Amino acid sequence: MSSFGPSSESTGDGGKLVGTVAGPGDGPNEFFIVTPDEQAVKTGEFITYSVIVEGEPQDVIARVTNREQARGLPETFMADPNVAPETVAGTLGVPTEDIDLYRLEATVIGFYDTQMQTFANPRQLPQPGTRLRTAPDKMLEAVLPNIGVDEADARTTGGEVDLSSVEVPKRDGLAHMGWLLNREAGAVDVHVPIDEFAATHLAILASTGSGKSYTAGVLMEEMMKPDVRASLLVFDPHGEYDTLAEMRGEDIFEGESGYQPEVEYFDPDNLQIRISELSIGDVMSILDNPSDRMQERLDGGWRAMQQRESRTWGVDELLVEMYQQYGEDDSSVGALEWRLRRSIQRNDLFTTDVNVPLEELVAPGRCTVLQMDTLSRRDQQMIATVLLRRLYQARLAAVRGREDDPNYDGEIIDFPLFSLFEEGHRFAPATGEAPSLSIMRTITSEGRKFGFGLGIISQRPSKIDQDVLSQCGTQVTMKIQNPTDQDAIKNSVEAAGEDVLRELPGLTPGQAVVSGDSMNTPVLIQVRKRHTQHGADSIPATQEWRTAHQRHQEQPTRSESADMGGGESSGEQNLLGED
Amino acid sequence: MSNTSPSDQSDSQTTRITDCLAIGSIVSSNSHMDYTVEIFNETDRERAPGPAECEFGQPVFIHKTIQDTEHVIVGVIYDTHLVDPDQGRSGPRLAQGDQKQFTPGYVEERTKLAGVALLGTAEVAADGSIENPSHQMPRWTLDVEDIVERCPDGVTRAFHTGTDGGILIAYMERLLDLAGSLGAEVMLVLLDRLRESFPTDEHQRVLDVIEKDVRWQSSVDRGVMR
Ligand SMILES: Nc1ncnc2c1ncn2[C@@H]1O[C@H](COP(=O)(O)OP(=O)(O)O)[C@@H](O)[C@H]1O
Ligand SMILES: [Mg+2]
Repeated sequence: MSSFGPSSESTGDGGKLVGTVAGPGDGPNEFFIVTPDEQAVKTGEFITYSVIVEGEPQDVIARVTNREQARGLPETFMADPNVAPETVAGTLGVPTEDIDLYRLEATVIGFYDTQMQTFANPRQLPQPGTRLRTAPDKMLEAVLPNIGVDEADARTTGGEVDLSSVEVPKRDGLAHMGWLLNREAGAVDVHVPIDEFAATHLAILASTGSGKSYTAGVLMEEMMKPDVRASLLVFDPHGEYDTLAEMRGEDIFEGESGYQPEVEYFDPDNLQIRISELSIGDVMSILDNPSDRMQERLDGGWRAMQQRESRTWGVDELLVEMYQQYGEDDSSVGALEWRLRRSIQRNDLFTTDVNVPLEELVAPGRCTVLQMDTLSRRDQQMIATVLLRRLYQARLAAVRGREDDPNYDGEIIDFPLFSLFEEGHRFAPATGEAPSLSIMRTITSEGRKFGFGLGIISQRPSKIDQDVLSQCGTQVTMKIQNPTDQDAIKNSVEAAGEDVLRELPGLTPGQAVVSGDSMNTPVLIQVRKRHTQHGADSIPATQEWRTAHQRHQEQPTRSESADMGGGESSGEQNLLGED
Repeated sequence: MSNTSPSDQSDSQTTRITDCLAIGSIVSSNSHMDYTVEIFNETDRERAPGPAECEFGQPVFIHKTIQDTEHVIVGVIYDTHLVDPDQGRSGPRLAQGDQKQFTPGYVEERTKLAGVALLGTAEVAADGSIENPSHQMPRWTLDVEDIVERCPDGVTRAFHTGTDGGILIAYMERLLDLAGSLGAEVMLVLLDRLRESFPTDEHQRVLDVIEKDVRWQSSVDRGVMR
């Protein structure tokens, strides 16, 4: 299974000789390497050596976790920043060329087992003196992500098994997220298996401005490509995904039989919630602190309403029912009346009518963006609660084959779903104070069986419910400095090793650690550029002030006449920049 | 081996090795790099070196022709010894009273000995200046009675100038090693002398760093710093 023998020594495709094993390291899977070359190997680099495992030569991959200078110019030569240490060395006749030696620490990841389709631990460290090479680019492309390369995939036309020969970009269903940060741009592309994270959920965690939304945009683009045609539903509380519509008309998104991704936007007017869809728990969470007696009354009334044929009842009908049950002058029902009218009846979000049918909302090849930037947090949570519940029921029904069941009159969605949440901690808060938490927990723990994946984006991992976060099988983690949030990641992200966590504070926007079910080992990547514009760039204030000022200067009298309304005033149009 | 008094004494800035003050002759060696020199006195020379001319840290050279090429072997005085043959009659006292010339092994009177550590070599150009300084260990052995001359500052400067115009002190580690407890001190005196010869800012900074290094190392060796 050797993927680079002597023949690859001359090829430029990785495989560069970088150092020699000096001896075992601190842990059972660690060893030390000595290298003369400062440039060749950085922390995080993947290196390889050959060992015989059960009679077969195997290329074991190891990750460099630490690098320190073993020999070099003495620090006293650096006493004056104005004097180069090399100058001092030259004066003293100390050779400066090729004298530096570096000591690297590396951790064995394993050799890629084409049977198990992941890394296997060789259970033996390389002998001191073993020569190490950088792992070849193409081999890493095939083995780092969990894309299930098997022996047949790796077999060359000549019949050998060579992992570097696998043509990863040609495989379907992969998301090209970016490339390994340690190698040249584009040298080792990282293709993440969409099936994996769509089934076992995804978390994108990073401080504000580190590139979470941008990366989510990249993944959504990948999921809308012709070889995937996903059904995406985005809960967008900031209006950051308005630019995704640019996918339409771009060649890269066009597929056979005229496929083009659909991008549908739903604003609050289309997102109304039918009151009869609410559960008693939802209603409780909407009302301010109902007393025990009020809860009991509401429970009784709500149950009675849910027994009814009609699904279009509202607060009025509910109140009639409760007054009937508990008497016209029941003070608790009276108190409830006031609360129900204020919180539900007078909130435009709730309606008695039929709400948007799910099949209008989601479809394969469609990215549905729920624009919730004008809604309150509580309303956003309510929409998520009710929609997720309906979608989950519809998936459940489809998987259980209930479309032919005469007793089932609910909705059916016969394709998997992937739903993305900006401000994920808002919908699944660690405090538990959100009606949406319970359905989010259900989907993250059960959704895998029903083809319902969630993507949780958050800048405050410590504020996300730990059950939900720990169920996110794939993690994209970007720059995080807050120690509480780092701890949250350590606790809930199984695959996040110490060496990976150490990287987090130092990342720059667009750099990410990808770990979990979608990867065979965590990797540090540079996220690729988006095909569509990024919609979340902050407004360049000084530029907008300048142009606005100029506009105002050019129309000194408009400000008065604009208020007159009607007529043919073109002022408004000009203000919108449409002249 | 001229017995005439050097004409050029006052001009320590000369860059030529001709007519330099002879300060002594070699009497023995302790190693390939470490020689003992008996300093001339009035009975040896008309113009004997004064105390300042053979002081601790004074660069010296031995002029030798090797394989048809004229060379200087450069060294530095890193130690001195006084020998008094009358003191307890412990010293060697084999010289005859009428023997005018100093004879090695025969010490007739009070004598000043200097330890000279070799620093390197250079070639002598036709005009008497030196070129191609090398701070490698000299391969040749010096001989007893070889004359040791005082190295003028100009020659010292040339000996310490690298091909790129930078200062060259490549013998430092060897000197520190050889001179033992006095190594740091002799190095600091040499650095002081080099400061005079290399006045530009750029050179002074390099000398600063090296001086700190020497002081730091000797402090560490003496256990007062780590
Ligand atoms: N992969 C990338 N390539 C180029 N620029 C990026 C990348 N990721 C992030 N950025 C830049 O960083 C900025 C912040 O990214 P954004 O996704 O809005 O951050 P977040 O959602 O984490 O607050 C973006 O406006 C973009 O300019
Ligand atoms: Mg964002």
